[in-house]
Amino acid sequence: MKKTIRNRGTQAVVYVFLTLLALVTIFPFVYILLIAFGKNIVGTQALFPKEFTLDHFRRLFTETHFWDWIGNSLVVSSVTMVATVVLVSVSVYVFSRLRFRGKEKLFRFVLLIQVFPLMLSMVSIFRLFVALGLLNDLKGLILVYSAISSAGLVLMAKGFFDTIPFELDEAAMVDGASRFQILRYVILPLARPMLAVVAVQSFVIAYNEYGIASTVMTSGIDTMPLAVGLQSMTVNQYGTNWSLYCAAAVLGAVPMMILYYAMQRHFLGGLSEGAVKM
Amino acid sequence: MKKIVLMTLLVCTAFAVFSVWPLSLSAEGDGIVRIWFSQYTEENAAMETIATRFTQETGIVVEVVPRMTVFNAAQDFTNNIEHDERPDIVFMQAPDIGNLVASGLLEPLDTVVDSELRTRFVSSAIDAFSLEGIPYGIGYSVDTYGLVYNRALVTDEDLPQTWDEFFALGEALTVRDNDGNVTRWGFCLNPRDMWFTYPIIRSFGGYYYGRYPNGDYNPYDIGLDNEGMLDYVALIKDLHTKGLTLSTSTQSESTIVARFIAGNVAMMIYGLWNAAMFQNAGIDYGITSLPDPGPGQTSLALTTVQGFVVNAKTLHQDATLAFLSYLSSDENQQLLIEAGNGGSQKLGTRNPANRAVIASGYIQSDANLRALSALNDECEPFPNIKEGTIWYNYTTTCFQAIFYGTSTGGTVDPQAKLHELAQAIRNDVAQMNAQPERITLPEGLWKWILGFFAGLSALGGGVVWIRHRRNPVRRKGFSREALLGWGLMIPLLVLLGMFYLYPILHNCYLSLTDYSGIHLLDYGLIGWANYRQIFSSGFRDLASMTGWTLLFATTVVGLSFLLGALLATVMNRAGAQIAKIYRMIFILPWVIPTVITLLMWQGLLDTEDGMINHFLSLFGIPAVPWLSNPLVARISTILVMVWFSFPYFMVVSTGLIKNIPKDYYEAAKVDGANGFFLFFRITIPLVFRALVPTLIMSFLLQFNQFGVYVLTAGGPASDVIGAPGATDLLITYVFNTAFNTNRYGLAAAYSVIIFLFVALFSLGAMRIGKKMSEGEV
Repeated sequence: MKKTIRNRGTQAVVYVFLTLLALVTIFPFVYILLIAFGKNIVGTQALFPKEFTLDHFRRLFTETHFWDWIGNSLVVSSVTMVATVVLVSVSVYVFSRLRFRGKEKLFRFVLLIQVFPLMLSMVSIFRLFVALGLLNDLKGLILVYSAISSAGLVLMAKGFFDTIPFELDEAAMVDGASRFQILRYVILPLARPMLAVVAVQSFVIAYNEYGIASTVMTSGIDTMPLAVGLQSMTVNQYGTNWSLYCAAAVLGAVPMMILYYAMQRHFLGGLSEGAVKM
Repeated sequence: MKKIVLMTLLVCTAFAVFSVWPLSLSAEGDGIVRIWFSQYTEENAAMETIATRFTQETGIVVEVVPRMTVFNAAQDFTNNIEHDERPDIVFMQAPDIGNLVASGLLEPLDTVVDSELRTRFVSSAIDAFSLEGIPYGIGYSVDTYGLVYNRALVTDEDLPQTWDEFFALGEALTVRDNDGNVTRWGFCLNPRDMWFTYPIIRSFGGYYYGRYPNGDYNPYDIGLDNEGMLDYVALIKDLHTKGLTLSTSTQSESTIVARFIAGNVAMMIYGLWNAAMFQNAGIDYGITSLPDPGPGQTSLALTTVQGFVVNAKTLHQDATLAFLSYLSSDENQQLLIEAGNGGSQKLGTRNPANRAVIASGYIQSDANLRALSALNDECEPFPNIKEGTIWYNYTTTCFQAIFYGTSTGGTVDPQAKLHELAQAIRNDVAQMNAQPERITLPEGLWKWILGFFAGLSALGGGVVWIRHRRNPVRRKGFSREALLGWGLMIPLLVLLGMFYLYPILHNCYLSLTDYSGIHLLDYGLIGWANYRQIFSSGFRDLASMTGWTLLFATTVVGLSFLLGALLATVMNRAGAQIAKIYRMIFILPWVIPTVITLLMWQGLLDTEDGMINHFLSLFGIPAVPWLSNPLVARISTILVMVWFSFPYFMVVSTGLIKNIPKDYYEAAKVDGANGFFLFFRITIPLVFRALVPTLIMSFLLQFNQFGVYVLTAGGPASDVIGAPGATDLLITYVFNTAFNTNRYGLAAAYSVIIFLFVALFSLGAMRIGKKMSEGEV
């Protein structure tokens, strides 16, 4: 009896904590929605608008290239996502399963090289794009995002791959499976939660990136990804058009939400018990 | 070990070749004249019409390229200047031409801008684009301001003619409640901003840059610390006590505009940018010329003129100049202006610089467009010299300190502060113009260096090969497994080489050059001058900022990890349905574009108008200076960044926690452990062990966290002008200082230093992390 009361008390505390945190988390989004749907709002100083309107969305579709932007972003992000998942699974397999001299140094090289502040070296990135003929070309963005997200995610993925027991590999090897078969049929299925995280995270990186895109996608208005299109609205000559901006933000978040909730099953589903020992 | 050396040499050689390889540029164009134009669809359509007519008349093909915003035009133009499809004519703002002219990127337009053309345009349209008497562009739209007033509160007849009348009338129209608080403003000024108050400053004798006798700006003559400025400060302080200026430093122009829309401001110094909102709110507004200092004197509004410039590297000069003349005809200007103002909507977006257009029925039939265009002769273009924007960057910080006190609440001596401001500007002007001596390398040195590396690589390769053949044991080391490993890594290594290794090497090279806004194309080697400058002048700032950056990154990663792991644990134990809902909520920060949420936080945390303080005030809690007090701003910045990264850790930990065998917990429970113990002694260590690389990665990401720039821009600013702000990370500070004065070589030197520092730091962290994860469990 005493124990149940204590449990209930703990549960209550937990829920209060969760609810408070949830409120803090939701707060900015409510704010975005208010500005996107509110009427006559100047700047960001919106506090419960009196009237609501869909006018900002109408203007977004008629006055800007919103559909072009979101289309570009979706293409770039999806291809980046696929490329990153392939690159990361292959590289992590090498780091986690193969044994050869220089592997540790290679791993360290991959980690260290990406601490370079790319934000301060746009000139070099730009020159590279010019030399490769990738200026104003979505292919260039896909390449650079694949590099950034693979480099960033390889390390996390390795941590996960290492938790998958080597005994499984050996058992499969004994059964005559090739390396590729082991990767495809033994390791990757077990690593699915991590691959799902890699997929979502690489999509998010490509979808959100602004600095490089705004430097190399400069000539046409309809070739830009969403982040650049959005940002250009905030530096508008006549002050930021917050209503339009927030309307775009609301719609722009939809693809990432869909992706996340579709993938959620995979990385929250858990693994078959017993297959993994820590 | 040999292989590593070999690889390094090969890669170095490859990139050395790559970095000096001449860019493949076609010398002859495709005969198409490209014009980068507007962000407005209608305006571009009008330009298309003009282009088509031009093609019919001359046979020259013109391509109109729509643009996002005119603000990026100069930067993007510089980047595309030698691209195959380079723009020939660019629509940009006059203040942006300084660097471009200094670097020789703009074509002088003496032939097009003849005396006939000058008579057809208002003088500011040509002056704004002229440097040392040479015209580099033709103005199209004059972005200016005047006295905007609410006819319900002040009649046309009562409008003030002089500044004295303005101040008197403003006071007379002001309404206060019983407590003395202003409820309706005769006028409302923003004392932090110099753009709109500049005409008042001028009337007191203050000025940013003086002029040489020939009319050009003299950046060494700064009039911001003279006697007149002290009188100006006294006036504003007086208005401040009367409540006729913004009461706190966190308010901005939009506060004034919001009050105007609410019908509570009679007069404001502003433009017609938000005219649509005035109309929606039913305000009967008007715009007129600014009050004058006295009889016979005229106040000049600070103006940005937008117009067309020509690429000096154009491949079809004659055709380009012909088209520029063509689109500058009165008839075509009329077409463009009408399209730019939304036709019959008459928005006031474009304010014509062409006199015939100003006189046309389209402009004259609309009271506001007419009033706005009448201001075109009473304006002063924002300085277009390369030093132009320097003064503007520091004035906000300076005036904030003078009128609102320091960040810690102290008061400052206006005279000393103004002197400090002028000195900071002088320093930057001097630094921008400092020309370190170039080092001339002997002809063909590159070939020697390349040859040296190639020879060394070949030698190294040969040695490794021979040793492999001779030594059977070593040969075994070069196994199929190693071949497979390196082979599989090739795609990733190529990508990393391209997008990380090359920029690093290229930056090392740039850090030794004088690459800057005034040497965009003709930069050369200057040796260690950039590094010397960093370590001689800015070392103390650098050290203190590095400390804060480390603290910031560590705290953000630590807190996000703990919160993420805690949430993951709690969710695993909560009911499945409830956990599902909470998970959907907690993931939101991760899936919404970062730029948007950062700007939202900025709005939410605003001291004056932010929703959070409004919310707190409902419970009687006084306003918290979230982003305006140095210490609080630092805490806020950390919390906002934690808010961004905890969902990631939650997701990553969830899978890991599910895989922790139940026996561990059972065993501990049998020993009488409580939940607290289980979390900190079992969950956290296990998850931490699996996440060591991720944590290090996150730390590095936070170290170079550019989001802070969007959130606070490094502010609140330091009380010392030009010193790093309270939340300035290394990367944001460098971005601010180096790019403020367009010294890209200096920025490259900083980036190399940051890279070395972080690389060493993370090597150490990896060692420690490895030991920790091996030592536990």
